[in-house]
Amino acid sequence: MVGLSLGEKHFIQGGIEQNLRSDGRKRDTYRPISVETGVIPQANGSARIRIGATEVIASVKAELGRPNALQPDKGKVSIFVDCSPVAEPMFEGRGGEELSTELSVALQCCLLGGKSGAGAGIDLSSLIVAEGKICWDLYIDGLVISSDGNLLDALGAAIKAALSNTGIPRVQVAPGASGDEQPEVDISDEEFMQFDTSGVPVIVTLTKVGRHYIVDATSEEESQMSSAVSVSINRKGHICGLSKRGSAGLDPSVISDMISVARHISEQLINKLDSEISAAEADEDEM
Amino acid sequence: MASKGGAAPSTYTPTPTKKTRRSPFFSDSDVDWLRPDGRGFHQCRPAFFRTGAVNSAAGSAYAEFGNTKVIVSVFGPRESKKAMVYSDVGRLNCNVSYTTFANPARGLGSDNKEFSSMLHKALEGAIMLETFPKTTVDVFALVLESGGSDLPVVISCASLALADAGIMMYDLVAGVSVSCLGRNLIIDPILEEESFQDGSLMITCMPSRYEVTQLTITGEWSTAKLNEAMQLCLDACSKLDKIMRACLEEAASASQD
Amino acid sequence: MGLPDASGDLSSEMELDAFRRLFPLRYFERHLSESIRPDARPLGRARDTTLALGAVASAHGSALAKIGSTVSLSLSLSLSLSLSCAHANTMLAAIKMEVMTPSTESPDEGSIGSIDFHMPPICSPIVRPGRPAEAAPVISKQLSDTISRQVKSFLCYPFLLNSGMINLKELSLVSGKAAWMVYLDIYCLDADGALFDAALLSAVAALSHYTGRLILIHFAYTIEIYWAGFAFCLDVVFGSPVVGQFQIIRFKNSLWRYIPDNFHHVQIPIVSLNDDGKIELISEEDDGAKLEVEPVNKEKRKLTLSSIPFSLTCILHKNYILADPTAEEESIMETAVTVVLDSSSRLVSFYKPGGPVLAHTSAVQDCVALTRQRVKELQDILDETLSGMEID
Repeated sequence: MVGLSLGEKHFIQGGIEQNLRSDGRKRDTYRPISVETGVIPQANGSARIRIGATEVIASVKAELGRPNALQPDKGKVSIFVDCSPVAEPMFEGRGGEELSTELSVALQCCLLGGKSGAGAGIDLSSLIVAEGKICWDLYIDGLVISSDGNLLDALGAAIKAALSNTGIPRVQVAPGASGDEQPEVDISDEEFMQFDTSGVPVIVTLTKVGRHYIVDATSEEESQMSSAVSVSINRKGHICGLSKRGSAGLDPSVISDMISVARHISEQLINKLDSEISAAEADEDEM
Repeated sequence: MASKGGAAPSTYTPTPTKKTRRSPFFSDSDVDWLRPDGRGFHQCRPAFFRTGAVNSAAGSAYAEFGNTKVIVSVFGPRESKKAMVYSDVGRLNCNVSYTTFANPARGLGSDNKEFSSMLHKALEGAIMLETFPKTTVDVFALVLESGGSDLPVVISCASLALADAGIMMYDLVAGVSVSCLGRNLIIDPILEEESFQDGSLMITCMPSRYEVTQLTITGEWSTAKLNEAMQLCLDACSKLDKIMRACLEEAASASQD
Repeated sequence: MGLPDASGDLSSEMELDAFRRLFPLRYFERHLSESIRPDARPLGRARDTTLALGAVASAHGSALAKIGSTVSLSLSLSLSLSLSCAHANTMLAAIKMEVMTPSTESPDEGSIGSIDFHMPPICSPIVRPGRPAEAAPVISKQLSDTISRQVKSFLCYPFLLNSGMINLKELSLVSGKAAWMVYLDIYCLDADGALFDAALLSAVAALSHYTGRLILIHFAYTIEIYWAGFAFCLDVVFGSPVVGQFQIIRFKNSLWRYIPDNFHHVQIPIVSLNDDGKIELISEEDDGAKLEVEPVNKEKRKLTLSSIPFSLTCILHKNYILADPTAEEESIMETAVTVVLDSSSRLVSFYKPGGPVLAHTSAVQDCVALTRQRVKELQDILDETLSGMEID
């Protein structure tokens, strides 16, 4: 929780009103973003994202599993977020649980598409090894290390970076297995498949303070919000998910406006992230 | 499939198998398919509401939309169970759980944390929390039978239960969802339609104030479709609101008699 | 709260309310001495009771029991809940069936998987999410003792075929290969005293209502159950190929048709033998289709319940016996006696879990006599409800 005096509150609100925020940014400016990939060697893919003082890590683990019976031609992806007590004392014990659930749900809603798997950022059918029998299960874990607002956007970006960093071993399915038998598989140690992450959306959260909305709010600014809308948008400009936080109701026309603003911002963010990710991967390769 | 083997060691419990094929109804090209219950695409199920279903609660409501059956009880304002710091506004505590027989496959009847937090988010903007400082209002929902669009029904039902309990609110909250199946938008989807949906959109709003308290979208949506879906939901919400108000009026006039 | 002697002005009613809160025991004793209870019932009378069947379409049998509804049931589309009334105790029981492989000792018998009593947080202010109510496991145990023991008694003494409540043989599908397993869940929707009585009533009503709308399809070594638009698959490795394949087992499924036809009595899917000596369960989905094979178990499609148990809980206080106590009465006077009798008035179980009042044999006899009376009432209510369903 952020404890602010009345003066500080007015200062933040007034700054946003005048398009000059406490840290000198405009309403639609992000804090500097830095990306580092391959931070967890044991994982199939991982990335660390820093946005200002907010720092998160995302890791991707791939395991072989059985596809869901209702969708035999698709792999499975699960997203789980943990809020480390390192980030904030109130996350200690079960304090972070609620936030963790909320973030996990929001990320699932934003990245995994509809129930049929359509519109997912990750092409689930690319995870299939043998239809109806073997598929890759992706376990995506997000860890909040330091929290200074805008966690959802940071986690979304981290997952995008971690996915593009992910290599999944190539699998050979032994022929001959018939009927209900599980076929034998041979997992390659050398060959890896890369993901096509161009379809993975980014998440843009617009935080409404007073009459205006801002991107990339810090914790202090978030404490002054009336509501926030997180929109996940892919490169095509399509909405891939949306969730709303904050108690205040919003007029539907305001929501439409926020969505179009978010779409505009997402273009810049996607380009920015992509260049950061490729730079980070280049760095990693050099090492 | 959460089902246990029971006492006998040699029991088999059903696990989901593949749906052999996606129903041809849902193909993108065919626009004129019929919904399984014979409704039009933009037609909601008949809604039934009744307040005062549970006597031991401060307020309660029962809602039935087709096969979706929900009971919500409201307790309080009462002493906060968790000893927490002083707060000059009231607290709202929400919980949504399912019965073991709510779904076609027998479940464990556990709490649904995701829906609990969504219910909380949908309602908190409508309740005048400052009218019951230091205390908690508990909103507990039990889904007796899940027939699709469970969450919007729970939310609408909960706002009626809150009204029945005499909790001060700015407005009732009505919730409606649409599913996107191929190119088509269908409102108030049933369970079967939900399991095939390509995307979903749920709006809960305060119809008289024309304010959205909660909005969730999954799947990929273009702007035009998004606007169409939102408008569909908002129109349906205002219709639902009329039914909910009629239910409250009926209950009020019955208690006067 | 219709109190006979409280017709005074408003101020006296205020005092009465205060008196009731401050001295609950004296308040009740005052009433008892006049042989009346605060809700205007005589001591030995149970509250009005109503039953509604087929409340939940996703279950194979369900019943809603309401003890204490003073307002007539207002039927909704399918689940009925009454308008607010003074004291009510509402239970919803539902049955789910799953397929199992019968044990080798009893190859042609199904079984009862579990009987659970749930008290969700909606039912009472004292139950909170995540903390199950203390009473729930106790009542679960009592219920499964009452219902399963009946079944077991018949297992142990096969010659007493009619003493079991459920004939487990009726749950058999293919001898030694497949049988139904019954799961019974009872949810308390509104708690107001004498929970066990209402729970047992709803449980037996749900069992009488049991609607087995399952569709079975068997390919090779797999049984698939199509139901409610979802498909479930069950791998059954058949020990011997004698049974071979049974092909289409389909049954009228209300959810597919989207007509709330929960009131079907015909419950167990029809099974027939085809030309190759294979078992088939017959489609009833389209009424026009002619059945070319002769069903073999046409008579076995209902669950025949014999010796249905009913119960009555009484509170013992000094020399008074109060039948069917409300939650308020239970909280003030602690000694309760629960008598379970079957339809022919034989004693099934008897519970007196401690309490400060020690019961004389005469008091016990009085409780049994009250229960006997109550069993007749409940039997009538159940019969009436079931016959009402048949007309539909």
